[in-house]
Amino acid sequence: MAKKLLLVDDEEGIRKVLSIALSDSGYTVFTAQNGEEALDIFRRETPPIVLTDIKMPGMDGIELLQTLKQESPDTEVIMITGHGDMELAIKSLKFQAIDFVTKPINDDALEIALNRAHEKIRMRQQLREYTENLEALVREKSAKLVEIERQVAVGQAVEGLSSAMRDIAVDLEGGLTYFNEMPCFVSIHSPQLKVIAVNPLYRDRLGDKVGHNSWEIYAGKTGTQANCPAGQTYKSGKGLRTKATVKTASGGKAPVMVNTAPIRNQDGDVELVVEISADITEVKRLQEELDRSQQRYQQLFDEVPCYISVQDRQLRLTAVNRRFKEDFNVEHGAFCHEVYKHQGEPCPNCPVAKTFEDGHSHQSEMVVTSKAGERYNVLIWTAPLRNAAGEITHVMEMSTNITQIRKLQDHLSSLGLKISSISHGIKSLLTGLDGGMYLMETGFAKDKSERVKAGYEDLKLIVSRIRKLVYNILFFAKERELKRDRVDILNFVDDVASTVEPKIIANGIEFVREFDASVGALKLDAGVVRLALINILENALDACLEDEAQKSHKILFRVQQDDKQIFFEISDNGIGMDREVRESLFTLFFSSKGNKGTGLGLFIADKIIDQHDGRISVESKPGRGSKFKVSIPKMISKSVITKRKNE
Amino acid sequence: MPKKILIIDDDPAIVRYLKAVFSDNGYATCNASSSMEGLEVVKAEKPDLICLDLQMPGEWGPRFYRKLRKDKELKDTPVIVVSGIDGDHAVKDAVAFVKKPFDPEKLVGIVKNTIG
Repeated sequence: MAKKLLLVDDEEGIRKVLSIALSDSGYTVFTAQNGEEALDIFRRETPPIVLTDIKMPGMDGIELLQTLKQESPDTEVIMITGHGDMELAIKSLKFQAIDFVTKPINDDALEIALNRAHEKIRMRQQLREYTENLEALVREKSAKLVEIERQVAVGQAVEGLSSAMRDIAVDLEGGLTYFNEMPCFVSIHSPQLKVIAVNPLYRDRLGDKVGHNSWEIYAGKTGTQANCPAGQTYKSGKGLRTKATVKTASGGKAPVMVNTAPIRNQDGDVELVVEISADITEVKRLQEELDRSQQRYQQLFDEVPCYISVQDRQLRLTAVNRRFKEDFNVEHGAFCHEVYKHQGEPCPNCPVAKTFEDGHSHQSEMVVTSKAGERYNVLIWTAPLRNAAGEITHVMEMSTNITQIRKLQDHLSSLGLKISSISHGIKSLLTGLDGGMYLMETGFAKDKSERVKAGYEDLKLIVSRIRKLVYNILFFAKERELKRDRVDILNFVDDVASTVEPKIIANGIEFVREFDASVGALKLDAGVVRLALINILENALDACLEDEAQKSHKILFRVQQDDKQIFFEISDNGIGMDREVRESLFTLFFSSKGNKGTGLGLFIADKIIDQHDGRISVESKPGRGSKFKVSIPKMISKSVITKRKNE
Repeated sequence: MPKKILIIDDDPAIVRYLKAVFSDNGYATCNASSSMEGLEVVKAEKPDLICLDLQMPGEWGPRFYRKLRKDKELKDTPVIVVSGIDGDHAVKDAVAFVKKPFDPEKLVGIVKNTIG
């Protein structure tokens, strides 16, 4: 079957050329010239892949992407961008576009993007099949359990029946006509304790004992004249119910439940005793099987590689499996959203609530936080649990941890960005080198020492940029182990401050140190934390230099502490950031500095501080400057240690 | 009077480079380090040609270009894009698209063909 694909672009030329190329690759291509038309076609044809331009009149590509992802999260969307649209491209990745290709469209790049979309679709399908299989397995096991329970009930009914038969035998003297059909061993005993009649089942299994002693079939204590059920019944004149073991005709033994009933003559004397025995081997066997199945079911519940929980209508957890307990704090009756997300309110797209509503399975993907503070991406699958009346009383939720897959994916998309971002940065650096050399060469040729000097200064500047880029790339490329040593903080921050101070002062900016003299020492990897702080300080400098407001600029470097943490605070009164910049700050290859930024500095700073179990918080407003606060705990927490061990 | 070229690029090293190249070939130059500043300088200096970078902090080159084209007086000023970014979609009727790093002689050649 041909693969469907929807192509959206407002330029007819692009639609035509791409359609031909894609049809040649085996796609059935639908085209639309704007977002609205695209949605119509999408709803009708449901293609798994949509290729859309970002800039279009009316509904644009980003809006189309959001609508598609909302209506059909499984649809993969590839964005077509112009070369000036890098920020839009990054934005579209945030809205879950699988990839983007830039105009003019390179066939190879398009093929890679399409392959990535197919790969994602395939991966999702596998995950889904896997989860569905699991669900089927649980369903099968549950059905088996129900069946066994039914059988046990049947066993109990047999017992009940024989007791009922006893009553009937008491009430009806002529009742004996029934007993040939009864599903038990039935026998009649004379006052002399001889067997005088047996039913066919008795004869088949225990032998034709008519004329033999009543106690003959019993093993052990019961097998004596005084203790056999018939004997006791004659003695007491009352029916009895007891457990015993009978010897079968084939030489084996079988446990039975024996009921007896005295049958009296008109004078009230016991004339006959009816003895009804039900073989309880079967009941016992069923009981054991039930136990075993329950155990297996529990094992399955505990060991499946998913978090399983059962929730009631209020989204309270009524049962969870072992894995769930391992990774999340569960108190009885806790709410799902509390445990998974530490939130007071249910999640907006709660799949469990949807299942309660419509009785169908739902799935969704969410980010949850474990008790150790780790963030996991989970794929959630729900199934309704019904009572005997068919009403949904609970919903079972299975969550598969797909964090690794997601990480891999993020890494892939950041690699895609890296290639375009770094290659652009390098081109600028090369142009700068050309420029410096040109100035020096022509300066020497024309004997203009000013020009030679300007060229030399440019070369120095570019070389320092290259050095920084290379260091940052090297750092990014390599996962390094922390080398923690006890570091005297005051010495450390003095050293950091002295490194950046000359550069700050040379630009006419005031630099203020405000260090708490009692901060003492801290175990940290001085080399990398220094890199992180310098990255932030240099950003503060850039923020002041970019600010065109006529005011005197100032950078404050402050170190403080409380009993648990040490705070490094770097604030400036420079250009400041809007919300979007603030939120993308720590993203890989995000830069607000055009050619001058590598987009690595804060990403790396964040990573370093995270490795120290610390965090960076940012306050900033456009035109009001920025404040970065780095906090590092004085004690290394357990979660960091175990994390390191697991790595 | 020499023809005047406006250089818009956020990297001062590259601005110095282009200034040196153009002035060595007998052109006058002026410069701006952002799109916004570029618009002001265009109005004040009325350059004969604009040399435009695409990726800059704040507004990118293409946005400058669109604003330029909306201004009746300025819209016919020829633009040469000098940028490290591939592709030439955002600035459709630029005179030329020169990729960084560039060959100064070729760039000067394009300028000569355009404004003499």
